[in-house]
Amino acid sequence: MLALKNIHKSFNDHEILKGIDLKINKGDVVTIIGPSGTGKTTLLRCVNYLEKPDEGEIAFSDFQLNYQSVKRKDILRLRRRTAMVFQQYNLFKNKTAIENVMEAQIVVQKKSKKAAYEKSLEELNRVGLADKLDAYPSQLSGGQQQRVSIARALAMEPEIILFDEPTSALDPELVGEVLNVIDQIARSGVTILLVTHEMSFAQNISTKIVFMDQGKIVEEGPPSQIFNHSREKRTKEFLSHFNSNYTKITTAK
Amino acid sequence: MKMDFGYMIKILPGFISVLPLTLVVILCSGLFGFLLSVLVTGIRIKRVKIFSPLMELYISFTRSTPILLQMLLVYYGLPVVLSLIGININNWSGTLFAIATLVLHNGAFLSEILRPAYLAVDEGQKEAADSLGFTSFQKLTRIVFPQVLPVALPGLGNALIYLIQDTSILFIIGVVDIMGTANNLISNDFGSRQIDVFLTVALIYWAISYMADKFIKYFERKTARYHLENGLTR
Repeated sequence: MLALKNIHKSFNDHEILKGIDLKINKGDVVTIIGPSGTGKTTLLRCVNYLEKPDEGEIAFSDFQLNYQSVKRKDILRLRRRTAMVFQQYNLFKNKTAIENVMEAQIVVQKKSKKAAYEKSLEELNRVGLADKLDAYPSQLSGGQQQRVSIARALAMEPEIILFDEPTSALDPELVGEVLNVIDQIARSGVTILLVTHEMSFAQNISTKIVFMDQGKIVEEGPPSQIFNHSREKRTKEFLSHFNSNYTKITTAK
Repeated sequence: MKMDFGYMIKILPGFISVLPLTLVVILCSGLFGFLLSVLVTGIRIKRVKIFSPLMELYISFTRSTPILLQMLLVYYGLPVVLSLIGININNWSGTLFAIATLVLHNGAFLSEILRPAYLAVDEGQKEAADSLGFTSFQKLTRIVFPQVLPVALPGLGNALIYLIQDTSILFIIGVVDIMGTANNLISNDFGSRQIDVFLTVALIYWAISYMADKFIKYFERKTARYHLENGLTR
């Protein structure tokens, strides 16, 4: 359904993505894991054109885009088929929860106010926030804000939702409620591309795990393969940090 | 020296008759100055090549020279500059030069209010709008402007008050507005009733500024709901 081909991206001569190829099928939940600074978020942002890749192609089943020759119209078309959930939620601060979900439906999809309201109500219900319709972002907890932003993405009925470390800015008590919502969405058949550091969650909900290091995909496969029988030494090494419990570092005297 | 209220009331109609002129100058300068400042702000935020550094220069000059000097430069300089490209404005009235000065002055000053207000809307919200497929124009009108406005309003209100006070120098280039009328009165009386005249003028400026202030406060209240983002209540 979605294929990325040979994606390259550099920031000031520093190459972040060194040729990424990735295929995602309809209904897939693909999770990208890997050390920080390795280009996971950059890759996700390239899919949505929030970053402009230097080279490469993105292809949907009926629509192709070469990053070296993009028109403004193509960018909008790409963005209207994808939706992004940000680490920092990025809700519109001057709008209430339901207005946040309605806004793009009215402005971008040209829906009537009534239709947008009903759709928004449905999606906010789905993320468990039917009682917070008229709350402003400043009146919501981080977890609630993130759930509103998930509802905002869902309401656009995109072909794929991109999650960029959706729980990294949350305190541990609030992580669970957001993961539950994502889990439930994943099971309802929505195609997802997710970047996260929540390893056990990734193992649980993903249909495919992609391990990235230093701008390249090192290994990809079903969770059972990556987490239990990984073929690459680097993958094993990275995951070993999550399997062991915390041990206090003591210096011998 | 004693104050003569009877005289103050007697000269009031003379001031009222030139009040429309002062108000037109304020309105035109405020409106076109604001539009110019939006353009200047846009150029600086988009970092348009060549133009952006030129705008920096223009703002720096405007902020660093007295407005009286700017008006004299426009009055004597603008016809010379425009004649170089074949435009003759020698038949312009003093009022037009005054408005031109105030528009240029406010174009620079207001952009220094708008730019930080624009930057106060965090990048994340602009990215969110992008990611949802908003066009640049939709992003500006639906998401950015509504949040820029409440941040910029107090600054814009102050600028309006300054603009009103700045019109008091127009008599220098021969505009017979409120101050011009005052000067005529004084020279007719050989300066014998200066205090009465200036006090009347002060009260008129006070009244205009007071109403302008109320007008701005009304808008601030209207947009107060947007301050919720800062945790302030309605």
